[in-house]
Amino acid sequence: MLRTWTGARQRIPAVCQIRLLHNSQPVSSPATEASTSKAEPDAVVEAPKKWTPQSKRTGLIALKRGMTSMWNDQGVKFPVTILQVEDCQVTANIKTPKPDHTVYHAVQVAAVNRSPKSVTNQMQGHFRKAEVPPKRYVKEFPVTSDAHVPVGTTLSAIHFVPGQYVDCVAKSIGKGFQGVMKKWGFHGLAASHGVSVSHRSAGSTGHHQDPGRIFPGKKMAGRMGGKQVTVQNLAVVRVDTALNLVYVRGQVPGVDDAPIYIRDAKKVMDIGRHNAAKGKEEKILPKGVDDLPFPAGTDSLAKTLPPIIEAPAYRRSPFTPPE
Amino acid sequence: MASATRQIFKRLFSSTPRTANTQAATYPFSKTAILPPLPTKAPTEALRAGKGLMQHINKTLATPEKKELLEKFFSRRSKNQLQPGSIVTVLQDQAPTQFTGVLIAIRRRGHNTSFRLRNILQRTGIEMQFFVNSPSLKEVKLVRAPPRGRMRRAKLFYLRDAPSKMTGLAGGKK
Repeated sequence: MLRTWTGARQRIPAVCQIRLLHNSQPVSSPATEASTSKAEPDAVVEAPKKWTPQSKRTGLIALKRGMTSMWNDQGVKFPVTILQVEDCQVTANIKTPKPDHTVYHAVQVAAVNRSPKSVTNQMQGHFRKAEVPPKRYVKEFPVTSDAHVPVGTTLSAIHFVPGQYVDCVAKSIGKGFQGVMKKWGFHGLAASHGVSVSHRSAGSTGHHQDPGRIFPGKKMAGRMGGKQVTVQNLAVVRVDTALNLVYVRGQVPGVDDAPIYIRDAKKVMDIGRHNAAKGKEEKILPKGVDDLPFPAGTDSLAKTLPPIIEAPAYRRSPFTPPE
Repeated sequence: MASATRQIFKRLFSSTPRTANTQAATYPFSKTAILPPLPTKAPTEALRAGKGLMQHINKTLATPEKKELLEKFFSRRSKNQLQPGSIVTVLQDQAPTQFTGVLIAIRRRGHNTSFRLRNILQRTGIEMQFFVNSPSLKEVKLVRAPPRGRMRRAKLFYLRDAPSKMTGLAGGKK
């Protein structure tokens, strides 16, 4: 099942090989093969695209709905964050040539319908071109050239496989203007012993006449939170396509109902790609994950699959004593 | 959007009887994935838009047996609801398989409801917190109701510093 990736790479249709001679990209890259096979759909029958360790899929935009706890099949309790995918559609496929003659590929995804009354004319035109209703959140996800998704496709929670790892990007909860003890973890000064009116202050902010200034970037009190934060390597434990929910183990930044940009965990995928290059087929994807929906998990795919899928625990039970 | 909900409803509820909500299709992306039984409540448009979603999940995440247990012993409307100060025995899969103690606290959080039992074993005070929806919790049995029907507190943490009151409760002082 995993071995089909290595087999597929060598198969380049004969019709496309002539075009490759004029292509500036190297022959052996999967990007070349995918783009040329897409260029002549009449000559070559389009097989359903398969995920390869070199591919990078698009992400999704979901809303953080809340947290609860779940128990897995081993009886272990763990916290889960519930993310709901709402009206997530592809609005553009970006292919920007860069100065070094490579191409930057990305998939632009938008989520959560909004009334056209509150959308600018420029954005209305953009959504009209994509033939989707106006959306509240728009985000671009860098992908490889084989992972483009047709514009207007509705993405679903089925895009993520229970057992895989994801990175969640969101704006953290704003804490307002905070002092150095909360913001930077300073220890403050003594609570008594003569300290006057500066128990929670930063203390000294520099040296003396040399340098005679405060270095830029000095940690000081100021606005805390409300910034983009990425939490990496969160395990997907359950996927519910009836309600379009992705249950992710652990905490995710931000308030409830805020947008979360979810993508496949970069570090886990990098390790998988490295293992594929070394030939370790069993360590390309995390334990229990056999394949990933490619180029994306769509609404139509979700209708053919079971509505609720859960991942078992892929480690030895902590309740059984070790040998 | 409405047609999507109708299609899902049809797929979930058309031919299967109400009790057998098992999923027949296979999942090609993970051979070891679990396909849990489907909830009896169909997804509505409001739920797909996130309205009332967390309450719905908290009600549907537990199995029917667990929901019965929650409803019988921990719902405020139930006649058999456990009162703090009662002696309760818990049977579970993990060690300790049986634990008896005074119920000193009930933490009501819907799906994450838990309770604490306190006992003194071999001159050591032992408190255990049990989560009602845990799969390893098998049975909850009421041994003795609190004296005079109820205690005057919801949380009996003062028993940690009053061993004489503990023995009074254990001895069954009416």
